[in-house]
Amino acid sequence: MSHVKLSAEIDRYAYTNALSKSSPTTKLFLALSLLLLSVMSPSPIVPISIFLTSTVLLLSFAKIPCRFYLRLLWYPIIIVAVTCVIIAFFFGYQEPFTEVNLLGLKWTVFKDGITLGFTTFFRVLGALSSQFFLVLTTPMTSIILILRKARVPKVLIETSLLIYRYIFVFSEVMETMHIAQDLRLGYSGWLKKLRSMSMLIGNLFIRTLEQGERTFTAMNARGYDGNIRVLEDQPKPSKTALAAITLFTVALAIAAYLTMNIRIV
Amino acid sequence: MHIMEGFLPHPWWEIWFAISAVIVIFGIYKLSKLTKKFPEAKPLLAVMGAFIFVLSALKLPSVTGSCSHPTGSGLAAVVLGPAIASVLSTIVLLFQALLLAHGGLTTLGANIFSMGIVGPFVGYALWIASKKARVPTSAGVFLAVALADLSTYVTTSVQLALAFPGTSFADSFITFGSIFAVTQIPLAIGEGILAIFLFDFLAKYKGKLLSSMNVIGLRVGSQSSEDAE
Repeated sequence: MSHVKLSAEIDRYAYTNALSKSSPTTKLFLALSLLLLSVMSPSPIVPISIFLTSTVLLLSFAKIPCRFYLRLLWYPIIIVAVTCVIIAFFFGYQEPFTEVNLLGLKWTVFKDGITLGFTTFFRVLGALSSQFFLVLTTPMTSIILILRKARVPKVLIETSLLIYRYIFVFSEVMETMHIAQDLRLGYSGWLKKLRSMSMLIGNLFIRTLEQGERTFTAMNARGYDGNIRVLEDQPKPSKTALAAITLFTVALAIAAYLTMNIRIV
Repeated sequence: MHIMEGFLPHPWWEIWFAISAVIVIFGIYKLSKLTKKFPEAKPLLAVMGAFIFVLSALKLPSVTGSCSHPTGSGLAAVVLGPAIASVLSTIVLLFQALLLAHGGLTTLGANIFSMGIVGPFVGYALWIASKKARVPTSAGVFLAVALADLSTYVTTSVQLALAFPGTSFADSFITFGSIFAVTQIPLAIGEGILAIFLFDFLAKYKGKLLSSMNVIGLRVGSQSSEDAE
């Protein structure tokens, strides 16, 4: 439930952050190059610096509240940390590093397992933070407009715009029905919870489908011809910004190449 | 089943992108043909998409760099066909990456392959098979949706095991698969039961549109559209 609400919050920050007026093309270019760099980088050094870069950009340039950023980050970080511990413990097989006592069982931890765990953790961290940079500074409609300029098929753009709209329609209806059920003690036990949940999902589908049809009728009445037109007055990307980003990317790529053979243990 | 941003290492995410792209492009072709023929199907398409979004946002964490949740793409495959379901899943997965930071942009290809391609195609194959075998509609829907959901998770386990093979692919597959199985088997059954109700409603309420789209057999379609009128 809370996840759907979270998407509305992220969407709001995308429109209101301090960088929302700068060119979406520049932001997309920066975010994608950072993302690719952290995924391609073989050692943890470059992803760590990418994590720091996008965090600084988000907190001090885009003025995203620190608490909100941390709220977004802690959940994936915990999951990835646990996963990487599992990887470190179970997935090595070359040189042994140390032996630990697991509930009376002797378990050998291998060096390459630990390296793999660490690298994966920081790769995810760098990639996540550059993804958050894009998500929190660039509204969905701008991204869709860029896709339209990139000649993505019309039917895909149109369906995306409609789905984008319905996600928020869904979450509003869902919220209302959830409160109504909760007030009638619909979530007071495990079995009731299950029953209320399936009622909620079923009715949600019915309600939104009806609403969708009414919207479609209304659009047709206003001369809908299969094109949803949006005002395109987006700021143009500045050439210096693009050049600076390219330079930064190349520098990081060289750093990634130089630090290729660094091992944690 | 959304594999987290950055979790898949270098050659793997590109490979899954390339495989998924072929099928999604075919799906886009089918989608544009469908909307030209039946413009009134558009709200149904959009609602299906948003529905997949909401269903797969109800997630349980799983310690595999991924998570467990209903997928919703099985029902979409039964109603709209697997190729179109794969396009809808692509859009939904992109939105989930961008609006929820759930899944990722580089892992998009792998996630499309498991949730948008394997799941819908397995579901659709079972749906057609059970229609041929004259199994009752509700049992067919249940089988299709529940197994579409499960096969999605099996695929995710395969993808994770290929990327992190450890000592052997098989061991790693069993590790990832058994972690998922705990949460996913009850969820798949739940999603299957839910889909029976939803499909029943759709057949009653949208019977005419669905049978003209050749989704449900004429027998079910004509009877239920009479009910609706």
